[in-house]
Amino acid sequence: MAIILQLLFTGLGIGAVYALVALGFVLIYRATNVVNFAQGQFAMLGGYCMVITTVDLGLPYWLGVVISLVVMALFGALFNLGVYYPLRHRSFLPVVISTIGASILITNLVLAIYGPEPTTLPGMTDYPGISFGAVFLDAQYLVIIATTLALVILQYIFFEHTMVGKKMQAVSQDKEMASLLGINVTGMIMLTFTYSAVLGGIAGILVAPILFVSVGLGAQIALKAFAASIIGGFGDVPGAIVGGLLIGVAETLGAFYISVPYKDAFAFILLFAFLLIRPQGIFGEKIAQKA
Amino acid sequence: MSLLELSGLTAAYGAVAALSGLDLAVEEGEIVTLLGANGAGKSTTLRCISGLLPPTGGEIRFAGAAIAGLSAERVVRLGIAHVPEGRRIFPGLTVRENILLGASNRRIARAALRRDADEMFALFPDLARFADTLGWMLSGGQQQMVALARGLMARPRLLLLDEPSLGLAPLIVQQVFRIIARIRETGTTVLLVEQNARLALAIADRGYVLETGRLVVAGKPDALWNNEDVRAAYLGGKRLSEESGAR
Repeated sequence: MAIILQLLFTGLGIGAVYALVALGFVLIYRATNVVNFAQGQFAMLGGYCMVITTVDLGLPYWLGVVISLVVMALFGALFNLGVYYPLRHRSFLPVVISTIGASILITNLVLAIYGPEPTTLPGMTDYPGISFGAVFLDAQYLVIIATTLALVILQYIFFEHTMVGKKMQAVSQDKEMASLLGINVTGMIMLTFTYSAVLGGIAGILVAPILFVSVGLGAQIALKAFAASIIGGFGDVPGAIVGGLLIGVAETLGAFYISVPYKDAFAFILLFAFLLIRPQGIFGEKIAQKA
Repeated sequence: MSLLELSGLTAAYGAVAALSGLDLAVEEGEIVTLLGANGAGKSTTLRCISGLLPPTGGEIRFAGAAIAGLSAERVVRLGIAHVPEGRRIFPGLTVRENILLGASNRRIARAALRRDADEMFALFPDLARFADTLGWMLSGGQQQMVALARGLMARPRLLLLDEPSLGLAPLIVQQVFRIIARIRETGTTVLLVEQNARLALAIADRGYVLETGRLVVAGKPDALWNNEDVRAAYLGGKRLSEESGAR
């Protein structure tokens, strides 16, 4: 029993990271109808920002977090201007190719500057964690779960209880109509990219102390997050969160009970199962109704 | 000076010409209707005015200012609200949220925004029951009411209505047109595109008939209705005199 609880805790922790990146996928998809394949690179950049500020420059951890978030916000805006905005009147494919190109560029720029060696980032706190009998709650995992929970609540309040949130929803549902009402469509999309980059950055900052910070970090997280958003029902916000947690738990349980080397396969086995049995995802019907 | 003046307006979708030199004027306080067969350029005219489609030539003046080629966001801030064909209610937002967003063209305090929305629920009492219903769950008639309310939330000087009767039951259509007549009484000018010529001419002060992007004839509703050629070609149906009850 204790082992299962321990595994669930670890799985939810890593799943929360997938959920944050999946949320970034979903928000950009809803706003622009395009999948941003550089979403994982946002997480990698967040991790590297932390390494540069706290390890290389020796700044305090909290200051590193603040600087990293500001850098990610600016990067999201820049990404929108450079990768999406010039192609905004084009169809799905050119924009998707543009985001793939951007992800390759980002990965190789980081490779050129930092080299292929993975680096490490210390945890947010020196405090090791809490023990509940045989179950040990690692501090970094607690930070991840708490931060994700807080973000999900804040985001819910923002989208459901502010006019800006409503305007962003309106833009994602019908851009032409939104512009007829005087909603600043370009601005709302800019805001979406900025927020998604910050979300990705937070995921990277949170996961960096657990995984190594390397150029491969982005792709590693993004693939799982992408699977998570499909499992949840692509384009669905609660679906992205549930899907992320589910994948985190599945791969942790699978690694423990079945095979550690095949850890990464479990996310995709789950994805295949969903595609075969419930291709619309967990919350899929809602989208069909909205159409 | 007319509130809205189009002169020599041309527009195209790609290589296909949709408007070829349209002249049209709407005076403050009027209901003017644009009639014509499918593809005559009625909706295109509205899309050019509201900034959805940049015209390829000609002029659009609103209250004296040239507005051709401005973005939709800027046009609605000048006081032109466009209620497009198909209602275009945001499906995932509630009726109240749809209506609140109608005021996005104005800088307005939250309390005043709520007050304006409540006014809309007073003007469309049937909607009050559906305030928290999501857009996609509404019937066509309810959606049309929401679309009108959302358009009015912009406090427009000029309201562009595209096919408000499309796909609605006859009883609902009557209701919609009564509301349009009432909108004019509050001082809002209306430019109405409508397939149902009989109803449109019954509430309009003047009408324009378009054919393949050109103006064919313009005039008072009675004159248009009694013009045999026009009636045969574009309007169809009975004489206006038999419909005087509808006015």
